[in-house]
Amino acid sequence: MLETMAEESISNGFIKNPVTGSNPAVVAKKRNLPGTPGKYPVYMIISAKFFSFEDHLHGVLMLCLTPDPEAEVIALSPKTLTATNRFLCEICGKGFQREQNLQLHRRGHNLPWKLKQRTTKEVRKRVYVCPEKTCVHHHPSRALGDLTGIKKHFYRKHGEKKWKCEKCSKRYAVQSDWKAHSKTCGTREYKCDCGTLFSRRDSFITHRAFCDALAEETARVNAASGMHSLAAENFNYQLMGNPLDTVMPFSTVFNPISSNDEAVDQTRRGFSLWMGQASQGYDSFGKSTLQEIHQFGSLNPGSIYGDPMVSTSNPPVSDYQLNWVFGNKVSSGNVEDHRLSSTSLPFSNVKENGPQLVSVPSLFSTQQQSHQTPAFSMSATALLQKAAQIGATSTDTAFLGSFGTKCSNSQVQDGNKHSDLYVSNTPSDLENSANGISTLNQLQMYPAKRRRMQNEDSGGGGGGGETRDFLGVGVQVICHPSSISGWK
Amino acid sequence: MYNNNNNNNLHHHHQPQISHTSTSRSSDYSAGGSGDGEPSGTGNKWASRLLKECARAISDKDSSKIHHLLWMLNELSSPYGDCDQKLASYFLQALFCKATESGQRCFNTLTSVAEKSHSFDSARKLILKFQEVSPWTTFGHLAANGAILEALDGEPKLHIIDISNTLCTQWPTLLEALATRNDDTPHLKLTVVVTANIVRSVMKEISQRMEKFARLMGVPFEFNVITGLNHLGGLTKEALGVLEDEAVAVNCIGALRRVTVKERAPLIQMFRSLGPKVVTVVEEEADFSSTRYEFVKCFEECLRFYTLYFEMLEECFTPTSNEKLMLERECSRSIVRVLACEDGQDNESECERRERGSQWSERLKEAFSPVGFSDDVADDVKALLKRYKAGWGLAQPHQNETGLYLTWKEESVVWVSAWKP
Repeated sequence: MLETMAEESISNGFIKNPVTGSNPAVVAKKRNLPGTPGKYPVYMIISAKFFSFEDHLHGVLMLCLTPDPEAEVIALSPKTLTATNRFLCEICGKGFQREQNLQLHRRGHNLPWKLKQRTTKEVRKRVYVCPEKTCVHHHPSRALGDLTGIKKHFYRKHGEKKWKCEKCSKRYAVQSDWKAHSKTCGTREYKCDCGTLFSRRDSFITHRAFCDALAEETARVNAASGMHSLAAENFNYQLMGNPLDTVMPFSTVFNPISSNDEAVDQTRRGFSLWMGQASQGYDSFGKSTLQEIHQFGSLNPGSIYGDPMVSTSNPPVSDYQLNWVFGNKVSSGNVEDHRLSSTSLPFSNVKENGPQLVSVPSLFSTQQQSHQTPAFSMSATALLQKAAQIGATSTDTAFLGSFGTKCSNSQVQDGNKHSDLYVSNTPSDLENSANGISTLNQLQMYPAKRRRMQNEDSGGGGGGGETRDFLGVGVQVICHPSSISGWK
Repeated sequence: MYNNNNNNNLHHHHQPQISHTSTSRSSDYSAGGSGDGEPSGTGNKWASRLLKECARAISDKDSSKIHHLLWMLNELSSPYGDCDQKLASYFLQALFCKATESGQRCFNTLTSVAEKSHSFDSARKLILKFQEVSPWTTFGHLAANGAILEALDGEPKLHIIDISNTLCTQWPTLLEALATRNDDTPHLKLTVVVTANIVRSVMKEISQRMEKFARLMGVPFEFNVITGLNHLGGLTKEALGVLEDEAVAVNCIGALRRVTVKERAPLIQMFRSLGPKVVTVVEEEADFSSTRYEFVKCFEECLRFYTLYFEMLEECFTPTSNEKLMLERECSRSIVRVLACEDGQDNESECERRERGSQWSERLKEAFSPVGFSDDVADDVKALLKRYKAGWGLAQPHQNETGLYLTWKEESVVWVSAWKP
């Protein structure tokens, strides 16, 4: 029942209102995997091309809805695009950054009622192209529907990187990107397969190159049955939306996915930010090289890590889950402009509050985690409410940190080496390390036993204890659910 | 601060821009003068005083004084004590060897002892731990990598010649950068020239690790090691196997000082003949070269430098750290070699005659011109230093100088520079 409801909403969202209900360019991350039954409407084509290396890294299948023939294509010049005072008062010529500010100002001119109204209310949908000729978004078919989006794109791709993080000296062209990064910079931790934790990326990389775990892993990889590579491949596929060369992906492990070079729209940005955070922070080699990066994408880490067999059958579920949320949002009509990018609560917050993301993905993961019985055990409304709750929760930068401090002493951790410079964890459950699914388990900080227990408890209750940290790291410890605000 | 050395240094050098606070160690006694006016047991500076007196006595060949001071030092020193006791112990050893002309033998013994207890695991642990607690080595790695990446940007075939004993710890981050920065990952050939015997024995393991790691990173990689060389001065262009279509970078970490003084110029010329895109040099900031014929001055400079180093080790490591002990022992071998061994006893020898950055610059300018480090690299270095305990700083040189200095308690300790033909 839920299924049909969800499907309907998707249909409503996308098919019924192709013009008004959606962004002509990407937004939804819908993936149809080869081999899986075409269960979901494949109205979205299309470009499975990867235009650039950044796209590749972002791991998102770029889908373009059939371009809206009625949309007005606006091509702003670089000067206009970068102008900060776009809204000009026609009376005195003063410029404002926001329309509301302009309106406020106009009132001061004591205009007769007629003129107070906005002139020519735009009814036609506007899409914007990038002024840079060499850019893919220069062509109208690849136009972006959001002015802010195109502006950010222009800065990121073609602009000077004026903002720099003090801690790690990473540079950004867009101030909000820089802010978002600054909040999380230095809070991440890197964990090697051998169990050692690092707060510094460079020492992690150097350690990794010489770690014995590296030698073991290669041996394991070579000796492993097809299952491993199958799982890995499926995993990769589902995340990247493209059958990847299994050789290639290793380099992505260390890649700062949220390179912020490319964001077609906010939602995609949301994804990339998540994934970026995942990869940036929690780079560690695992059996599946990409598992730690794309944990969110999988939405079903449990199946993949706990049981490779199941991974192949799960992707559809996870995708469904994802789109269902999108779909619901669209259909529930709480969106003014019908743009998916701004609908789903979690994503809209992505830009501003990095740490906040932690809780939201876990929402999804919880669903999956309950032994692959579809997440549909929870009603759509309840799920959305939860998302709203989490989203509304205050997001302070110490969010991640507070998790760590609250729980560092109380959680059962996987066996870890201690070092006076590193976060100390209570050693336990070395088995997990040994059986090859170590990385995720370690990252999750939940021994298998505990996971099962929690599932029994929580049932469909909003994901009781499985506040899995999707990003895989940073939040060293997943707190007891009761300590997380918003969770029952 | 450098009171004792400033006047005597043949090569003019000046301090980097950061003002150097005069440290107590040198101000306790008058420059160059005898320590007679000082009360004995001046706090914790007794070691320095006694050692210098002994060095003078040896230089003066004052037999009874030598005996007396050696005896005193022997009583007071210990390799397991505090900084002063350790310095006293290791420098005593060198002084003794100097007085008895048994330096080479002592050095050989110490080296073979060290080699016996040495393994891949111990070496790896040592260097990684050191890099974790102190930016002494990572500073140079980071800056050099930055310069290398910039100079070789866009090249499809890279050949890096690594002349160092860093066990390739510099390269993982470079490999990662190559893998992530570019759309087309270039092919990297790494040729490592190892000089220390102790490192030679573990290079096989190292090569395996590096190859695996490069595979993991997705960087096409080729690894060569040149170990047959018993002294750097004998390194030839042919041995390096540089190919026409390769973009070459020569990376020297603590390498130039191992070349005997008279072989330095020819070696630099040989580098030039390779046609590299960039040459990166990292050296410790001390001058044991210009003073090599003046024992007392050389001794004092040696003492100054190693006092800094030992104090740094003391502060960065835990008191009972085994790694610290290993590093201190390594220093003791270097000290014996510098003070008690004759250079160039045969043509095929090595040494550890350090020179300051300004001195190296003079040499390198004969064949190369300096390349400044970009702001990005400087920022990266600053970010790196922030991750360590307080006390470390970055100094940019004066106008005529090039490179960057790592400072510890405002004293320059390590110098890094980049050069192009």
